Amino acid sequence: MSTAPSNDTESMEVDPVFLNAKREAWIILGLWIVALLWAVPYCYLNGYQTGLDPETIETTMGIPSWVFWGIAFPWIVADLFTIWFCLFYMKEDDLGEAHEGEDLAEEIAELHANQADATTGGNES
Amino acid sequence: MNYLLNSNQSLPIVLAASGTNAALVSFLIYTAGVFVLAALSNRLLKSKSFLSEYFLGSRGLGVWAFALTFAATSSSGGSFTGFPSKIYTHGWILALWIGSYMVVPICTMGLIGKRLNQVARRSGSITVPDVIRDRFHSQILGLMAVSLIVFFMSINLVAQFKAGSLILQTLLDGVTVFESAAGSLSNAVSEIPYINSAESPEYLLCLLVFGVAVILYTTYGGFHAVVWTDVMQGIVMVVGVIIMLPLAISQSGGLENTTRLMAKMTPPRISDAEKGGITLTLDKPSQEDVRIDSGTWITDDPIADHKVPLLFRVTRSVEIPAGETTVNEVKVLQLTTLDDIKRILGRKESEKFLDGVSVSNIDLKAYAYGEDGNQQGTYLVGPGPSPSSSNGFLPLSLAISFFFMWAISGTGQPANMVRLMAFRDTKTLQRSICTVAIYYTLIYFPLVLIFCCARVLLPGMEGDPDSIMPKMAVLLTDNIQMGWLAGLLVAAPFAAVMSTVDSFLLLISSAWVRDVYQRNLNPEASERSIKLLSYLVTFVVGTAAMIVAVNPPKFLQDIIVYVGSGLAASFLAPIVYGLYWRRVNAAGAMGAMLGGFSVHLAMYITGYFVNGSFFKPYQLFDFDPIIIGLFVSFISGYVVTKVTAPPPDALVQKYFYTTKTKA
Repeated sequence: MSTAPSNDTESMEVDPVFLNAKREAWIILGLWIVALLWAVPYCYLNGYQTGLDPETIETTMGIPSWVFWGIAFPWIVADLFTIWFCLFYMKEDDLGEAHEGEDLAEEIAELHANQADATTGGNES
Repeated sequence: MNYLLNSNQSLPIVLAASGTNAALVSFLIYTAGVFVLAALSNRLLKSKSFLSEYFLGSRGLGVWAFALTFAATSSSGGSFTGFPSKIYTHGWILALWIGSYMVVPICTMGLIGKRLNQVARRSGSITVPDVIRDRFHSQILGLMAVSLIVFFMSINLVAQFKAGSLILQTLLDGVTVFESAAGSLSNAVSEIPYINSAESPEYLLCLLVFGVAVILYTTYGGFHAVVWTDVMQGIVMVVGVIIMLPLAISQSGGLENTTRLMAKMTPPRISDAEKGGITLTLDKPSQEDVRIDSGTWITDDPIADHKVPLLFRVTRSVEIPAGETTVNEVKVLQLTTLDDIKRILGRKESEKFLDGVSVSNIDLKAYAYGEDGNQQGTYLVGPGPSPSSSNGFLPLSLAISFFFMWAISGTGQPANMVRLMAFRDTKTLQRSICTVAIYYTLIYFPLVLIFCCARVLLPGMEGDPDSIMPKMAVLLTDNIQMGWLAGLLVAAPFAAVMSTVDSFLLLISSAWVRDVYQRNLNPEASERSIKLLSYLVTFVVGTAAMIVAVNPPKFLQDIIVYVGSGLAASFLAPIVYGLYWRRVNAAGAMGAMLGGFSVHLAMYITGYFVNGSFFKPYQLFDFDPIIIGLFVSFISGYVVTKVTAPPPDALVQKYFYTTKTKA
């Protein structure tokens, strides 16, 4: 079990999986913000119009240009980034063995300890 | 061949002949496949830890299983009914509405995936409440989590059961065997109270078939059955879209043509549900009742100063009794786009028209946004036409809200979190994120293209937009003389809802068995009784949800939105803090959970008083309740943690430290 007594801190270090996961999460959050700042303002500035003349609409590959540059193109970029990030940046970490049933066993032990306490406590009073 | 003007068969006939029988056949093949997978999964249940296998697949999911179960669970029935119907109704703006899906896979899987999986392994957690309870070593927190999950997910399960039955009903509509089976079922249950008050015999039959199938395979096979059927369902969905895309584009004359035609489109005039409509007068009285079905076209000579010919489509069936000639307030929609009208009139022989009738007393209303002169081209640009909101379909604040909704709130869904606890190793996670990213790219953006084309191919579907998917499937495949293919395409929405329902069902039963019974009532229950209980509870929960769904609540889509955002507001912050912040303690997690839940709920309750309906939540600063809820949840978690004592060292060491590796 990985729980160590608190006076034994010299032999412990911050879990590298935790540090890697945290760094990766910040980058992903950054990506989300970039996607938001690209798609929404671009579409708002170019795709929200009144008084549109149906004859003069701009299209790129058959779809309205604001959809192409505001959604379709960044979508491809986001996919490429995702693939690079996942395959080449994310650290391969050892997630450890599964301690199946350990949480339950721990609680049962605590329960028995409490019951034992209660019994002895009852005898004393 | 010009498919726009020249359809060789009438649509209703096509539907009855090829599409729906194909739907029935594909449904049967499908169900058979699902049961085979469940039987195979059941064999795996003999492995060491029953609960971990039954509810979590022994944490052994590989790339394909993990990626596709994740993708299929997140795309509920809405992706193939609600979403297409929205694209059809509001046009290109749906590209922005769904835009955040470009980062949804990496956000929902990457933000917490690796760490959640690690923490769950370290504690031996099987469910989401388990993780919370173990990570904070707090029984009360665990109980709170399990109550919220049972509360939200039970509502959601009923709603999804209803969604599944409605989809099946749309698919099977018109199949003779199905209609007669529904008829006999209706006779059989006419004496049973409650059951006999179901919406319609067809709905009841679909609910029974759909419900029994899902409950049986989920109960029997557990998590692996759910995952493997998800894989099959995921494949059906993406293949369906990939086949439809080129067909839709070529038959509508190319994307460029579609976009140009859409630029000229104006929204239809619609009838008010309460009053108004049009008056129909037959040229001469009929000997027998004249039934005018929903979907029937009606045309009349143009009124003098009208620019375009009159063309209406009935949206609610009516009857003219024998001997009479007139019926008032017929609910219709009126097409206003010249190209669409010409196209329908040009293929009059193949469409269902009611002849020998004249129209008077036209009392229809315009869309709240989209018809004014300066709003032309509304199907091409934001905020998109809207029948009810004068701000249009997607004003800026809502566009931002949806960016939060899909990517961030998706991360906070317990059904997704459970899957993140089940993958085998980080390599699997890394490859799966890429797989899901490509998968979503192949589904969501193409759906926008396909159903923009649907506006050109099938005008006047605004009265019944939810069936646009099956109608398109039938039309596209029939135009290339491959009607049987429609079966595969219409199976996609059905697959989507099935893969969501089974996951939710297992999530609820795991909450009862593991979190309520084993961890609170009887920790020392034997493996054997836990096993029996798991089967029993899964079966009972499913059956109960199915029975409630006989008379389901209204506002289906609203309930799903409320539940989805409520879950995220309650669970995202406690989980994120628990995984990434050493200082957070049980009180802080409790603050985050209760803060998010109650503020989110408060927005809906305020909506009830301010806007007159629980499902029109109050939008503080114009933002959706999910944003306010998440914000408050993170803030209150932080504040409560800071003002209370730090967590015990042992707990922090257990989850954040590891024994030094020798240099």
